[in-house]
Amino acid sequence: MTGALDTARSGDLAAVIEQRHVIVCTGAGGVGKTTTAAALGIEAARRGRRTIVLTIDPARRLAQSLGLSQLDTSPCAVRDVEGLDAMMLDMKRTFDEIVERHASSRARAQRILDNRFYQQMSASLAGTQEYMAMEKLYDLHETGRYDCIVIDTPPTRNALDFLDAPKRLTDFLEGRFLKMFLSPGLAAGRFATRAVGLGTGMFMRAASRITGASVLEDLADFFQSFEGMYEGFKDRAQSVYGLLQHSASAFVVVSSPEPPALREAGYFLKRLSRDGMPTAGVVVNRVTTTPEGHAGTLDREAVAAATADLDGGDDVERAVAGMLRLALDARRIAARQRAAINAALRSTPVGVLVEVPLADGDVHDIEGLRWVAGHLSGTRMSGA
Amino acid sequence: MTDQKAHAPVETRALFEPRALLVTGKGGVGKSTAAAALALASARTGRRTCLVEVEGRQIMRTLFNTEPWDFAEREVRPDLFGMSIDPEASLAEYLAMFYGARRLSKLVVNSTAVDFATTAAPGIKDVLLIGKVKEMERRRDPDGRFVYDLIVVDAPPTGRIVNFLRAPEATTELVTVGPIREQARSLTDLLLDPARLRIQLVTLLEEMPIAETIDSARALEELGVQLNPIITNRVLRPQFDPGAAKALDGMTPEAVQPLLERVGLDGAGTAETLLGLADRHLHRLALQDEMRTTLDEQLTMPALELPYLPSRTFGEDELRRLADVIQEAQDDLK
Repeated sequence: MTGALDTARSGDLAAVIEQRHVIVCTGAGGVGKTTTAAALGIEAARRGRRTIVLTIDPARRLAQSLGLSQLDTSPCAVRDVEGLDAMMLDMKRTFDEIVERHASSRARAQRILDNRFYQQMSASLAGTQEYMAMEKLYDLHETGRYDCIVIDTPPTRNALDFLDAPKRLTDFLEGRFLKMFLSPGLAAGRFATRAVGLGTGMFMRAASRITGASVLEDLADFFQSFEGMYEGFKDRAQSVYGLLQHSASAFVVVSSPEPPALREAGYFLKRLSRDGMPTAGVVVNRVTTTPEGHAGTLDREAVAAATADLDGGDDVERAVAGMLRLALDARRIAARQRAAINAALRSTPVGVLVEVPLADGDVHDIEGLRWVAGHLSGTRMSGA
Repeated sequence: MTDQKAHAPVETRALFEPRALLVTGKGGVGKSTAAAALALASARTGRRTCLVEVEGRQIMRTLFNTEPWDFAEREVRPDLFGMSIDPEASLAEYLAMFYGARRLSKLVVNSTAVDFATTAAPGIKDVLLIGKVKEMERRRDPDGRFVYDLIVVDAPPTGRIVNFLRAPEATTELVTVGPIREQARSLTDLLLDPARLRIQLVTLLEEMPIAETIDSARALEELGVQLNPIITNRVLRPQFDPGAAKALDGMTPEAVQPLLERVGLDGAGTAETLLGLADRHLHRLALQDEMRTTLDEQLTMPALELPYLPSRTFGEDELRRLADVIQEAQDDLK
């Protein structure tokens, strides 16, 4: 029932901003996640917490106002906002750093970095961005430097990738296919020997007809270079997962009022709930609000009659007719969005629902972010 | 100023010239809706059309009010077919076509195997998707005619489209001999042939989408793929004619009030609220104009505008209205 949602609408994220150690902003692409993350960070810093915002792919102007340039892949103080650091995730560089830090020797590390599979994988592996975001979160948490870490997540088509990616990677690392590649016979190109195992041999012969044998040898070399690091990947993935599940963390699901984005938000809420992840609430950006007062409850037929009268008149009369139509449009759009939001969110418990109104333009500077932060923390009411 | 800047006329005949369209745009611009409207408009011209989803988001089944879409191609409207590409089914079909899947399928085709393949060699999934599009594009019926006149693919968003399109080439960098390499090369041929395939960019007249559209257009041109005229979506239409807009400049509630009283809509505060709405509307139109100018200057490409529809719901009626707009633009040029 929408009763629960209306209660959620009366809440805000002030407590989350004030208290949680990790805040993860997730949601479909194009819904304003980065803006929301930055706004949460600004508000946390304003309340005296040492805060960092980890962004993934910020728009140029937003990046500029946070003081981020292409080269800033380590934390940088944000000018004009005391207590706030910001950084951009560089997926490839983060992956390289992990390899360098955890490989058993410099030579091993270099062998991996030079491997052409690694080079492709580290740049475009499905889930790599999510996985690297997790690794970076872990790093930042371990430094002990921050009271509050706000994470923007990659704009993947399916926001669930964020939770799935580390597990998929560790499943992959433990899987039977990988074990095939780790067998010594394979590296020597001997698909048919007993050393490789019958089932493995068949698969490999079949696969080698498809890809060519040299590819499999290169792949085997790639996986074997990673030996010794798998445990570490798995351990860290589990540590981060534990950190995210902790009550000191909070997931904020971000959406726009458009049905596709709302559907993603709904699925993600269900998934978070199923996994026992601490979900603080939902933020819906760019919401059209019903016009205030009488203008929001104009009788449609009265308006139709009025505009019929005014449309044929002078400039001022036609202007008033247009304005009446705008008022009806706004009300209709607000109703449509409200219905869509209610439909998408009604089946999973939502603690807090913040609807941030549509601003006149894009939010891309500190002042704009403070405006958004006001809505997120409930210090600014709708319509202001 | 609310004058709509005269826009380069859209050669929408050109919209339906290639045999396949990959529709892309920044997340949130309404790319899927635009793809659906394009496909509907195409089918209405008598072109046998197939609308293809590739990310399993099941947006199309909602727009067309059908059962979930899957790998089977089903007619959803006259001359309009729909399907959703599923990587596992694609892989199975691919192997069946080229290698006689029976022996391999038990070993290879299950979700673990697909996960493994797509994790270990990113781009394989994209190669499978493009491969399926190519199969559909080349498919002929027994008379020798192409089965489909147009395939409209609701492709990945601009953030990923370049990697998506590069997947066949990237695969040839990893796989240097053999059948996969040959396949990958034939896909590159498809992607680079403007008579067969073009990229349909969709944007909004807003800062971030425009910036990303410009960047993407340049990156795509560098790749050598051909772009269709751009579609700008959710365009706000002026609510006021030039005379009325001018009158709004500096208009006070006192000027509005008598008219509201005359028509019986003079509740307290109405005049102020209405003027506020007008102000925001004009401001938004001005921003749109700025964005149009930027787009024109940076890309010098024709653009087709689809209007924002402030309706109570967005369903098939609205989709049809958008298809109407696409068709009208095309008819204008006959």
